[in-house]
Formats: sequence, structure tokens, C-alpha cells
Amino acid sequence: MSRLALAAFLLALAPSPAVCSENLVSGLSQDTIQITSSYAGAEIVVFGAIERPQPRRPDIVVVVRGPSADMRVRRKARMAGVWINRNRVVLRGMPTYYFAAANAPLERIAPRTVLEQYGLGLAALMPRSTMGRHDPEPFRKALIRHQRRAGLYLQEDGAVRFLSGTLFRVRVPLPASAPRGRYLVEVYMLREGRVIDARSSWLSIDRTGLERRLYDFAELDPLPYGLCAVLMALALGWLSSLAFRRME
Amino acid sequence: MDIYLPIAEMSVHWLVVLGLGGAVGFLSGLLGVGGGFLLTPLLIFVGIPAPVAVATTASHLTAAASSGALAQWRNRAVDLKMAAVMTLGGVLGVLMGVWLFAALRRSGQMDFAVSASYVLLLGAIGTLMLRESLRALSLARAGAPERAHPPARHLWIHGLPFKERFPVSGLYISVIPPIVIGFAVGTLSAVLGIGGGFIVVPAMIYLLRMPTNVVMGTSLAQIIVVTALTTVLQAVNNHAVDLVLAFFLVTGGAIGAQLGVHAASRLRGEHLRLLLALAVLAVAGKLLADLVSAPDDLYSVAASGA
Repeated sequence: MSRLALAAFLLALAPSPAVCSENLVSGLSQDTIQITSSYAGAEIVVFGAIERPQPRRPDIVVVVRGPSADMRVRRKARMAGVWINRNRVVLRGMPTYYFAAANAPLERIAPRTVLEQYGLGLAALMPRSTMGRHDPEPFRKALIRHQRRAGLYLQEDGAVRFLSGTLFRVRVPLPASAPRGRYLVEVYMLREGRVIDARSSWLSIDRTGLERRLYDFAELDPLPYGLCAVLMALALGWLSSLAFRRME
Repeated sequence: MDIYLPIAEMSVHWLVVLGLGGAVGFLSGLLGVGGGFLLTPLLIFVGIPAPVAVATTASHLTAAASSGALAQWRNRAVDLKMAAVMTLGGVLGVLMGVWLFAALRRSGQMDFAVSASYVLLLGAIGTLMLRESLRALSLARAGAPERAHPPARHLWIHGLPFKERFPVSGLYISVIPPIVIGFAVGTLSAVLGIGGGFIVVPAMIYLLRMPTNVVMGTSLAQIIVVTALTTVLQAVNNHAVDLVLAFFLVTGGAIGAQLGVHAASRLRGEHLRLLLALAVLAVAGKLLADLVSAPDDLYSVAASGA
């Protein structure tokens, strides 16, 4: 499927009349991911090509952002011998999932100011605003550490591979814990540390089938849903006690 | 094969959750406790979000308790009247606990409150039970005849009004202590995601002086109602009950509970109480160690809607 899409995409890249500037085209191996009962995460491929390439190859950075959320980060402190949550900072508008990849280490591709302007790389990943009386920087770093451990924040310098002089691709792993919603996929083309072209597209992750129906049931009719859970528990408890009595 | 849990929003191997349910169900049938005090921390340990773990454990407990209670019912080891009186207090306790749950979550001290209450409760009860069961064991080894009843000392409890006859237990006591015990356990059920058997069982034995043979069945019957109510309220308030997770836990738990009941009939009362005391103390020790030792990461993260 993804190979077919890639082939179709390449056919569409018919050489066009020479214009002075190079530009970028990009696509995704799939634009919807369906969560089924055996869903254990997914992988998409972001690919693209440089039209009207110059002699020297430009740099490519790919960024994928999940739906954003307000992250409450708490810091523990020792009080009377036990560790309890003391300080809290809310980081507003942080992505729940973040992936950044490039064809080389990011700091060699562009200066810090550019990386921060476009939010390229974990070091440049900043909240929209913060709330709390403490310096937010250690809390931001703690959030990134936490999300990296969970496989939800990734930065892979060098993961963008050029298949030819103009064609590139990168694999984006999406763990099962990546939340549902719309994901923004951005591809940047840089030359001498400046962004010269960018493309964006959307990817959506959603439940389907039984998973979808169960989730909707739990959200929309919580009382019948809870009663169903109790009935199922009672029925299974009764069945098992019946089954074991037969065996005696 | 991994299965996807639609409410927990994660995937987990089905054998892991089935096995967890089975192991805890076995203890439930063996000791007459719900086993929630083990299951909730274990679920959190395999990565299930804490609210989902607490809420879904409640429905697991309903199944394990109903399976165990039915087996005890056939052995005529359930005091239905006592269970009904305790359930009255239990229902009020669950309502109180759900309110407390929300208040603690708002304050950001949920984790600490849960761990600290576990340490205090489990530590105190485990120590009491361990001491008692060791004394009973050494008495039995010395050749002293086993007493069916603990010594009938006159407790302050026997001075309370509203006395009722409980024929199955052979008791004539006030309904106030069972209602208060039920209330306390209902509150804990909603806040900590436990059935409360490890409190109900010792309370029945040491405070109400019920005969040991009806304690397990009566405790299980009472736990069915309290955990069923907790499940419904958690589903309505927090949307945190995962039916797929519950199905696997319950299936494992129901089978485990049956095996546990059979094993229990081959073990002596003192051995059972010693096992329960050790399980309770082990969990308390682990939680205490986590509270006082420096955490790996001082920071914790909770996401809320955009």
C-alpha cells in the first residue's frame, strides 16, 4: 500500500519547466490510522522530493505533533521523611506526541533561534504559556524526559534518508499510547540555516469497530455502561462457580 | 497477542492481564479478601493509568467476590443478615468516598494520600493479624485444642443499643458496629480501589466475634454490593471503567477464585490468617519504602484536555 502510494507520487513528479527556486513536495504512507482490538501502535512513512534541485542538497527536517494538551508537572520534595508533591507548573499547549527527525544533527542544520522559531527538535519544544510560581525550565525538561521514556517524544537526528539526490523518506513510529486525534505532519527544507520551503499535512488516529463503540458507550451512556460492567462481572462470577461445581 | 484497551488507551498482552486477574482471584477465594489492595498497584505497575486501574479493579472484585460467595453459599457459610446490615453502611461509605476521591484529586495529593493510607491501614492490620495467627499456631503446635470462638470477653461493643439476633453467626449484637465497619470499608473502596476484605475479615473476627467459618462468605457477599456500586459511580463520574480490561481480569479472577476456595478447604484457619497477614505486610512494606526512599524522578506528569 505505502509502496504503491510512493510510486503514484513519484509519477506525479513530472519535470516542470525550470523556475529559479527549488521547492518541496511531500506525502504520507497513510493519512488515517484505525485503532482495532489488536492495535499495538503503528508506523507511518513520511516521504517527499525536492523539485528543481540545486547542485548542493538542502537539509530536510520532519516534525510530527499530536493533539496538544495542558501538562501538569509536579515536583516532589522531602517533608518529614516522606516524598510528597510540593511544586506544580502547568505547561500549556504542549503536544501529547512529538517526533522530529532530520538528515543531520539539528544544531548543525540551523542556529538555535531558527530551531526555536519553528519548534524543531526537543530542545526547541516550548509551551504556549506556563502557570506556576517556579522557574518552568526544569519542569519542561522533566516533561520531555517523562514523554521520551513513554516513547511519546522522539528526536532522531539522521533518520531522514535520501533515496536519491532529490527523494527522501523517514519512518515515524506511533506507540499504542499515542492519543487519538489529529496529528500535524510538517516537512521543512532548509539551506544555510534558513527555511526555504515547508509543507504540512494531517494524519488522524481514531478508534474503529468494537473499540469505537465501547468508547462511545462509556462516554455517552455512562450509567448503562457501568451497569453492564457490573452485570458482566456477576454473570462471569456465577458462570465460573457453576463450571467448577460441575467438575466436582 | 496484544489487545487494545479502549478506555485505558493502551495495548497490553492478554496473558498479562488474565494472569494478574487469576493470581489475585486465587487469593480472593483462598483468604476471603477482594485482593484489590494487590491488583490496583499491580495494574498501575504494568502501565494502566491510575484512575482506570482503581475503577476497573472494582468490577474485577465484583466478579471474584460473587464467584467466591456462591461457593461459600453452597457450604452454608454466608450470614446474609449480617451482610445486609454491613452493606447499608457500605453504600453510604461509597458515596462519601467518591466525594473524597474528587477532593483529593483537585488538591494534587492523591498519590500520597493513597500510599500513606495504605501503609497505615495495612501496617496496623497486618501486624495485628500476624501476632494473632502466630500465637494461634504456637498454641496448636503445643497441643492445645483449637477454640472455635475467640475468648468471649465483654467488649464495649456489647453495651450498644439496637441489638439484633444474627442466627447464622450465633450472635446477638448491636447493628451499629457492622454499619460503621461497612461505612469505613465503603469509603476506602471508592478512594483506594479495594474491596476492603482485609479490613472486614479481621473486624468480623476480632470486633464482632463472628465464627471464622462464616466470615469469608459474609465478607464476600458484602463486597459484591460495595464494589458493584463503586463500579457504577466510577463509570458515571470518571468514565474510567475499561470493559475490555475488566473482561480479562474478571475471567482470570473468577477461575482463580474457584481454585482458591478449593485450596482454602484444605488449609487450616491459622495458616490462612498467617498468609493473609504476610501478604498485607509485604504490600505495606513496599509502599513505605517507596514513600521514604528518594524517587528515581522527582517530577511526575499528568495531562489534561487541551
